[in-house]
Amino acid sequence: MLPWAPLALTTVTAVLLALPVTPALYELWKRGDASALPTSRHDGRITNFADVLRTRLEPLRPQLECCRSEREVSRTALAGMEILLVGTDNFDFDSRQIQGISTLMFGDVAQIPAGKVVDADVYADGPIELGEGAALRAALGRDDIILGKNSSVLRWLHGEGNVYLRPGSTAYGRLSAGQSIRLERGCAFQHMHAPQILTVDSDDTRALPTSDAHVCQAQKDSEEKAERLVTGDMFTSSRPRLRVEGDFVLPAGETLNANVIATGELHIGRGARLLGSAKSYRDTVIDEDACVHGSIVCGGTLWLGPRTFALGPVMAEFDVLIARGARVGEPDAPTTISSSGANISAGCQLHGTVWARVRGSVEA
Amino acid sequence: MDLFGTILFLICIYTFRHYFFTFNRLFGKQRHPYVDLESASWPEITVLIAAHNEEAVVADIMKALIEADYPKEKMTIIPVNDRSTDGTREIIDAFAEQHPSIEPFHRVGGKAGKAAALKDAMTLVKTEVVLIFDADYIPGKALLRQLVAPFFDPEIGAVMGRVVPLNVGKKCLTRLLDLERSGGYQVDQQARMNLHLVPQYGGTVAGVRKSALQEIGGWNENALAEDTDLTYRLLIAGWKTAYENRAECYEEVPERWPVRVRQITRWAKGHNQAMASYIGRTARCSGLGWFERIDGLLLLGVYLMGPVLLLGWLLAVVLFYTGAQIGGGLTVLALGAFTTLGNFAAFFEIAAAARLDGSRERIRLLPLTLFGFTVSLISVSQAAWQQAYEGTVGNFFGNHELVWDKTERSRTAPVLDDALSPSAPVLRESV
Repeated sequence: MLPWAPLALTTVTAVLLALPVTPALYELWKRGDASALPTSRHDGRITNFADVLRTRLEPLRPQLECCRSEREVSRTALAGMEILLVGTDNFDFDSRQIQGISTLMFGDVAQIPAGKVVDADVYADGPIELGEGAALRAALGRDDIILGKNSSVLRWLHGEGNVYLRPGSTAYGRLSAGQSIRLERGCAFQHMHAPQILTVDSDDTRALPTSDAHVCQAQKDSEEKAERLVTGDMFTSSRPRLRVEGDFVLPAGETLNANVIATGELHIGRGARLLGSAKSYRDTVIDEDACVHGSIVCGGTLWLGPRTFALGPVMAEFDVLIARGARVGEPDAPTTISSSGANISAGCQLHGTVWARVRGSVEA
Repeated sequence: MDLFGTILFLICIYTFRHYFFTFNRLFGKQRHPYVDLESASWPEITVLIAAHNEEAVVADIMKALIEADYPKEKMTIIPVNDRSTDGTREIIDAFAEQHPSIEPFHRVGGKAGKAAALKDAMTLVKTEVVLIFDADYIPGKALLRQLVAPFFDPEIGAVMGRVVPLNVGKKCLTRLLDLERSGGYQVDQQARMNLHLVPQYGGTVAGVRKSALQEIGGWNENALAEDTDLTYRLLIAGWKTAYENRAECYEEVPERWPVRVRQITRWAKGHNQAMASYIGRTARCSGLGWFERIDGLLLLGVYLMGPVLLLGWLLAVVLFYTGAQIGGGLTVLALGAFTTLGNFAAFFEIAAAARLDGSRERIRLLPLTLFGFTVSLISVSQAAWQQAYEGTVGNFFGNHELVWDKTERSRTAPVLDDALSPSAPVLRESV
């Protein structure tokens, strides 16, 4: 045996042993990825994008005022963004004019012509109107926003007044309004929030559901109202918990003051009242005129029947189907509907947030 | 041979469990049923901060909680100052003077331990939802809502958020613990949530429903791991624990190996204590589904797998030198799992977690986790041996009272700017 053989063998063995840990030792020495993982900064505010755009555009307000008084269009740059300031009422969205523009800032009304596709964010001090079949990347309006028939907004949309979605229009991503959102038949959405969300048959406001139409408005009687204040507290420890192995049915017309958990399906009969919360591992059916004063948690598909009322929140792992006249949440108690898909009939009144993780739609 | 076969079987079961959870996280359907809850009539809550000699860190958490995005009129903060002998009391009182929502509870006597302190503090709690933090945690603004949201589900008795190490870059140990925590939360806990199994209440960055707690008899002050104890008592009583992966909160992990060894020894003893108490009841509990029950039992046994693995290795050597027959193909397969996959499944889980977290270079440290694994293996085995000894021989010489071994903090001063002043907190970049 050669005299250096043991040394060579030891060296080779040491190298082979060290090889797998070399990247680890390198990383320890270099500290290339040694900072704490970033935690979620999402604060749950749907208007975050709109707020950021508003703040970002604020320095341009004097220039916009100038354009408006001069009734002219001006191009400017801000933090690497190309911005078009529009002070005229008859801006025609000429492709050459908006090429390379990331944001269009209107001093008053913004009217996007029918069929026009605008690959930019739109800000307007006045109302925003999308013509039939038009498409926008995102929009922030200080007034009302109207999405024409079959139009779409691709990322987010926030109107500080009311937002109207005409038949067949689609709001991808976030849709929010300071006052109300009105969706007509065939509209689609993903994530929307407003103090009041109405699904309507047409633009005719007479078709809107009113609070008086709802069976639970019997609670307007002072006595009932006082009762609801007590029973409506979802977190009262005095309410009993009813756990059922299998299906549970609350018979029509009955009232139950309990939190119900069913490992099968759950059925609240016609006109019945559940003063607590309801959970089912499988599908849930809330029959017409029934009320649930607590939350509804459903492991399958949830059906809210005609003229039902849920104080919320409403959470379904699959779809939520909401029939005409149903009401979820209250103006002074907004809540959340969260599901994979949501299909809402015309004539419903919702307050707060609707999350359809895959797709939400208003029945055509 | 029967003992060796049993050990191989157990190792294969846990190997399968690790892989099943990991593949579920990588390719399965993910469940975050409460994460979308934005609008709601948020309930009144009480936040308990467990603090025992925490002068270096307690200001940070109180500052962060004051700035939290939760209706101020619906939140009461109770720092539970458990017999501190340092400046914890003065710091808490200074905050309470400025913020009426802080109602300090200074505990000057009574039984040692977090569970005992929380038990005493519960007499001050008037709300149905109670959130619990250790004093070294720094909750983000949206965290409280995220932890409260699952309580709208009437079946949820407890909620657990995700713990993220803050002092990652300090030492090799902290970097290894960072990876280990990722595996535990990002994969293990979330997979159990996805699969409707048994997510574990972890005692901090957590919440509990007061009525559920009362139903099961309150905090168990004799429990070394009050978190595991609570998880199982709730489970047996028909309450569920929800895990919120996106409810993330920074914590400080041990920076010295002796501290880490003491920490994991305490966890192991507490967990084993819970196993001895609840394994029978979990196995017999009629309200649990089969998969949930099996997962519950496997979770109870995780800290026993350390000594089991060591015993298996020892037996393997003995059997080899005694020339014992180890059986047919299935045994060889199990032996293969024991010597390779059985040990690597946990590392696969950590690697998957790092990928899910979007980590880049830190995944290179994976081979070094073998070192951390070995230290843990020896520590939990030693803990199991001590418990077995105290449970048998030790009893002949008198009762051994459980000792509360608080984890030593490395932070020496607040990390939030102006933590002792009422201005908004900003995390220092150097942290």
